[in-house]
Amino acid sequence: MSLADASLDIRDGELLAVVGENGAGKTSLMNVLYGLYQPDGGQLSLGGKPARFKSPRDAIARGIGMVHQHFMLVPTLTVAENVVLGREPTRRGLFDLERAVSEVAATCARFGFQLEPRARVDTLSVGSQQKVEIVKALHRGAQVLVLDEPTAVLTPQESDELAHVMRGLVAQGRTVVLISHKLREVLGVADRIAVMRRGRVVAEVRPAETTVEKLAALMVGEGHPALGMAASGRAREPSSGMGLETNTPPPGDMLAARPASRPSVDPTANTAGELLLEARGLQALADSGRPALRGVDLTVRAGEIVGIAGVDGNGQRELAEVLTGLRPLTSGEGTLLGGPLAGLTPARARERGVGHVPEDRLLRAVVKALTVEENVALGRHTRPPFARGTWIDFPGRRERTRDLLAAYDVRPPDPTAFLRSLSGGNQQKVVVARELDARPKLLVVVQPTRGLDIGAVAQVHAKLREAREQGAGVLLVSLDLEEVLKLSDRVYVFFEGRVTGHFTRPQYDERELGRRMLGAGTDHA
Amino acid sequence: MPERLSGILPSVLSVLLALAVCWGLIALTLAPDTAANAYLQMLWGGIGNWPSYLEGAAATVLTRPLGESGMKAALLTLTGLSVAVAFKVGLFNIGAQGQMILGALAAALVGAHLSLPAVLHVPAALLAAALAGAAWAGLAALLKLYRGVHEVISTIMLNWVAVSLVDNWLVIGPLRGVAEGGQSITGTAEIQATAALPRLLGDVSRLNLGFLLALFLAVAVWVWLQRTRSGFETRAVGLGAEAARTAGIPVARRTGLAMALAGALAGLAGAVLVLGTERRYPGTLGAPYGFDGIAIALIGNNHPLGAAVAALFFGVLRAGGTRMQLLGVHQTFPELIQGLALLFVAGRMVWLALLRRRTAATPAPANAAPPTEAPRA
Repeated sequence: MSLADASLDIRDGELLAVVGENGAGKTSLMNVLYGLYQPDGGQLSLGGKPARFKSPRDAIARGIGMVHQHFMLVPTLTVAENVVLGREPTRRGLFDLERAVSEVAATCARFGFQLEPRARVDTLSVGSQQKVEIVKALHRGAQVLVLDEPTAVLTPQESDELAHVMRGLVAQGRTVVLISHKLREVLGVADRIAVMRRGRVVAEVRPAETTVEKLAALMVGEGHPALGMAASGRAREPSSGMGLETNTPPPGDMLAARPASRPSVDPTANTAGELLLEARGLQALADSGRPALRGVDLTVRAGEIVGIAGVDGNGQRELAEVLTGLRPLTSGEGTLLGGPLAGLTPARARERGVGHVPEDRLLRAVVKALTVEENVALGRHTRPPFARGTWIDFPGRRERTRDLLAAYDVRPPDPTAFLRSLSGGNQQKVVVARELDARPKLLVVVQPTRGLDIGAVAQVHAKLREAREQGAGVLLVSLDLEEVLKLSDRVYVFFEGRVTGHFTRPQYDERELGRRMLGAGTDHA
Repeated sequence: MPERLSGILPSVLSVLLALAVCWGLIALTLAPDTAANAYLQMLWGGIGNWPSYLEGAAATVLTRPLGESGMKAALLTLTGLSVAVAFKVGLFNIGAQGQMILGALAAALVGAHLSLPAVLHVPAALLAAALAGAAWAGLAALLKLYRGVHEVISTIMLNWVAVSLVDNWLVIGPLRGVAEGGQSITGTAEIQATAALPRLLGDVSRLNLGFLLALFLAVAVWVWLQRTRSGFETRAVGLGAEAARTAGIPVARRTGLAMALAGALAGLAGAVLVLGTERRYPGTLGAPYGFDGIAIALIGNNHPLGAAVAALFFGVLRAGGTRMQLLGVHQTFPELIQGLALLFVAGRMVWLALLRRRTAATPAPANAAPPTEAPRA
């Protein structure tokens, strides 16, 4: 049960933000609105009249549009084809591409989107793909537009642009519902904020009347350790629904009640660590066949977090794949944990002690149709306590999974649940738990907190720092510059497959970093 | 709804619906009484005529039908397992028929031309059949892994290659057997007595060791998939190849080996047919058990034990089908039932949606996502 008696009013022509932790019911509520889920009770009314949406088709017909977190676009089709898909203009019974292009161009012009209707979607950046999704909804006449975690995948610049787009839509009389975890962003853009917790709307506030701290407190409930307040140790109230949540208090160290400010780590203390990774002149191709890495030099030592900053699509992803054996090098050499970087396979990388939190969770990190315990074993399934010789060690696997689920506060803490039944944040916790439990020497993490709520973000960050303090080297690739700067001891800036900047804490100059992210200082090449 | 139940119920309901539809068809075209009688005859023809046995008839009224059912069930189990194993690694093996043909030929040749004591001869012939089937399936796997050829295309084509190669040339040409009198016979030479699978219920019943072998293999495959490391890797590859690769699982090796195992199982079906009942590779292999395997695997929800249960059920029905002729019902009716059940089971999602609606009075489980692509809650 993800919704328990949730009530929400959406007013015409406003920008309403819905915030809440993972599993608070934000997406479920919107799926009811969009006709994907049928409510077990309660009612929905639109324009004062009761409405019942049996499917998204009904919702679209009544002017509701939704932009999902995972885009629903056909990558090999053009922008125009994607936008008109499902209601294509035809001429003599055949698809009329020219009319589609001109119609889509008109819609783009009307709402101020700069998109090339003939561009293939797979050639577009993530930010542009999102715009295609928005245009698609608008093209179908959406009056109410629901955006689910739209900024989770965007660069800061793209997020600013999206905020601008959303305000523009509201100015044109559309209603925008924004689902988000990012409180600062929400405060800057929304007219009104609804806070959800455990399937209910617990508060509705105006940005002017609140702060990030107050919102966070509303979201997680008072005294949550993630807020850095004194852990109350009070038992969580049992959930009213399926009884999926335990009522035992979380273990004391679990959420690492660290202040959200920067850690008090002596930056020089880490430079003496053992050299785990030394790479020179790395080159590799992207999936498209174009060069993604064009000569990258970098090092990672034990006991440090090395951040990779950059705008999406500048080679960071490919670097992570090279280091985990998923992508072959075309040139360059390097030493990774005592072995050559060339010819690395995922299995060899794991043997040498590389942990990996991949960017694309559902594709790479987990198998949705396996159980939680099977996913926890994935990659380590040949070793104790997950196996004994040829055979799977069921009790060992179960016990270890239970421990990890408790330590990382995964809900529900059921090792036999199918992974697909967990919310995205809880799935990510399972991945992080699995990778850190293997005690990696070098941990490659890509976008580890994408789409996670405050509590989970704080927890993942704490765990990464914990890994560093235990002597692991961490390579952190993130599009969230704030996250990179907060955690990293050193930062490499990537631009078009090259390192355009190298900063060591505490010499972080965000302005200079930003310049490098946009290509300044390419003298390095 | 518990996961296990949602795996089984659609299959059971599909079979029941297929039985009901066929009953209706007989009742409409002939007479309602005939339908009831035909089903009864089918049952007695499958599990043995218990009423007449209890009235004092000889035990053969039981053992003969049971032998027929068991023989058919063994073949269906093996080909069903073949398809199910390939499914587990994410491949659709349409080629069980071709693999079975190669396996049958290998068993016939080893059975006829090697001279070994029975303890060794039977295993040798079985092994040869398994290897031949595995090689045939392995071709499709290699084409898939190194050339990107879709396995549905390659296995279908390899079926025809097998038919042309074996049925249309080898067994009527170079490998054609010669009977004792010197005259030419259809098919290959008869296997030696040492290679024959021992019969279990006397000479009248054709039930042989192949039946136990099939059941044993169903359990073994299930244990392998569920309890061993390599079985887990195979399932992980089937359910998420990219995640498996990231986890360091050798995706290509798992895919190739699973496909080879699928071929070996189909090859063993050929061996059971030759060593258990035919005693030679006949002129043509006859019944398309390889294709039936697809239906058996799907009705069994691609579960090894599910496939075995489905095979037992349809083995009984198809053995009993012969007796329906007594009432003017065509003997292929059980195949119609099987086909309809396959058709209905293909609508698994529809069944689950219907079942969910029935249980909707109780709160819907949080993980009961609709078939539409739903983002995380």
